[in-house]
Amino acid sequence: MDVYEAEVPGVGYKYELAVEGSARVVVIVHHDGKRDLYLRPEPDADSEKLLSLTGEEARTLGAVLEGAYFQPVELEDTRVPLGGAVMEWLEVGADSPLSGRTLADAAIRQETGVTVIAVQRGSTTDPSPDPDTVLEPGDTLVVTGTRDQLRDFRARMAPE
Amino acid sequence: MASPALLDLGVAFVAVAVAAALAVRVGLSVIPAYILAGVVVGPNPPRTVLGVDVALVESGALVAGLAELGVVLLLFFLGLEFSVDKLLRDRRRVVAAGLVDLAVNFTLGLLVALAFGLSLLAALFVAGIVYISSSAVVTKSLLERGWIANPEADPILGTLVFEDLAIAVYLAVLSAVLGGGGGGVAAVTGVARAFAFLGALALVAWAGTGLVVALLDHPTDEVFLLQVLGAVTLVAGAALLAGASEAVAAFFVGAALSGSDLVDRLETLVSPLRDVFAAVFFFAIGLGTDLALVADVAPLLVAAVAVTTLGKFASGITSGRVYGLSATRSVRTALALVPRGEFSLVVAALAATAGGEVAGTVPAFAVGYVLAMTVLGALLLEAADPLTRALAPRLGM
Repeated sequence: MDVYEAEVPGVGYKYELAVEGSARVVVIVHHDGKRDLYLRPEPDADSEKLLSLTGEEARTLGAVLEGAYFQPVELEDTRVPLGGAVMEWLEVGADSPLSGRTLADAAIRQETGVTVIAVQRGSTTDPSPDPDTVLEPGDTLVVTGTRDQLRDFRARMAPE
Repeated sequence: MASPALLDLGVAFVAVAVAAALAVRVGLSVIPAYILAGVVVGPNPPRTVLGVDVALVESGALVAGLAELGVVLLLFFLGLEFSVDKLLRDRRRVVAAGLVDLAVNFTLGLLVALAFGLSLLAALFVAGIVYISSSAVVTKSLLERGWIANPEADPILGTLVFEDLAIAVYLAVLSAVLGGGGGGVAAVTGVARAFAFLGALALVAWAGTGLVVALLDHPTDEVFLLQVLGAVTLVAGAALLAGASEAVAAFFVGAALSGSDLVDRLETLVSPLRDVFAAVFFFAIGLGTDLALVADVAPLLVAAVAVTTLGKFASGITSGRVYGLSATRSVRTALALVPRGEFSLVVAALAATAGGEVAGTVPAFAVGYVLAMTVLGALLLEAADPLTRALAPRLGM
């Protein structure tokens, strides 16, 4: 995805990126930290100013958009730089076949190729879970694998 | 009895403050307001308003010094905001649009001035004054109208970048011409010294960014601000001593810092200072303006306003086409570039030092011209939508 950047003398910087095909989002970042957000719906249309944000508002909005507050699982378009692999966050359902089994017992990697790199339980995260870790309903598994492997894994996690 | 200098300054600041408030109220550029404030309270007529004596301020050394600082800071920021990157990355289109703009408007200014019987030197000043658009006014209107986020911002900002470089070269050459006015060997060595000085500065600006940044950077804002102000002012003053243009010297100091990490801090810390001293500069121009002299050049003014407005239209529309824009966007490019302002007055301030016919005619012309073009530019932008609707279909693009 291309971000077009240009200096605006006396003002700051202008960034432009394509969204929804021909629409463009234009962001003007002022030297004093103010940000103006514009949307140009079509190439021939005029840009409409959507918002004018302070630096702090812009950072908070940026963090929300970036997923710092809540990271949805974007099935086909998760962008994590792991080569061909992607990362996903998947919750263990109460009726999931994995529920109540240890990681070793579940043999996730052997059967699907997917690696469990962390288990989140409540507010704690176990970054390199022990094979004896018993999975509980409500746990979130941080997993990595190719898209095909993850599709396979999701199918196994769901109740039969 | 001469009034205390502090009182002069007090009157000056109150006058520009009132002028700025009024200008913002009616939605006009502050530049003409500052000039008019200077005319009103200055020693030239009108000396009374409603029977009250308003000839309050003489153009004293203090006001003149602060005004010079205004010129230096205006050019410092021009250099700071001068984007070599933009010029190089997009050089084909920037140079094409910039050359059209220069060829059309500079030439038209020169021809109109010569047609009205001005000397070649005076005509060269007039050409510079009508050529250069006001970066401040143009950028502000781009932000206000939201065009900044449209493709027409590219030719507009590209043209301004080219003009910035052109005006630096122009000021350097003209001040050298003025300095070497006597002719002979002394004049030649004088010009050579001036260009050697500016050339050395240009070299530092080009290659020495790291050095300048290391020299001026300081974690404490106060120290940083004073170091920057000291460096700019000292270099500008040294330029005058070397017979070179102080404005161009300040431009190079700014250019040395452009693209560095310090730009945001400079924009935040130094730009309020620039606004204050630039206001004093415009005010001082008003102080020195005799409206009777402006009236004397009225025929030239009317002709120049008409011809150069059309000139910017032609060059702006051509620039839009160079950038492959639609007719509507090309007309907007033209409209946006009409206002002239601060740099026309910087050129006029140089003319004022020339003496003779040039010092008498050119500054008066510049004041009348900038007043007319800021107002006309604002009116044209106000009517931008109906104008583009009317003009765009006729361009056959």
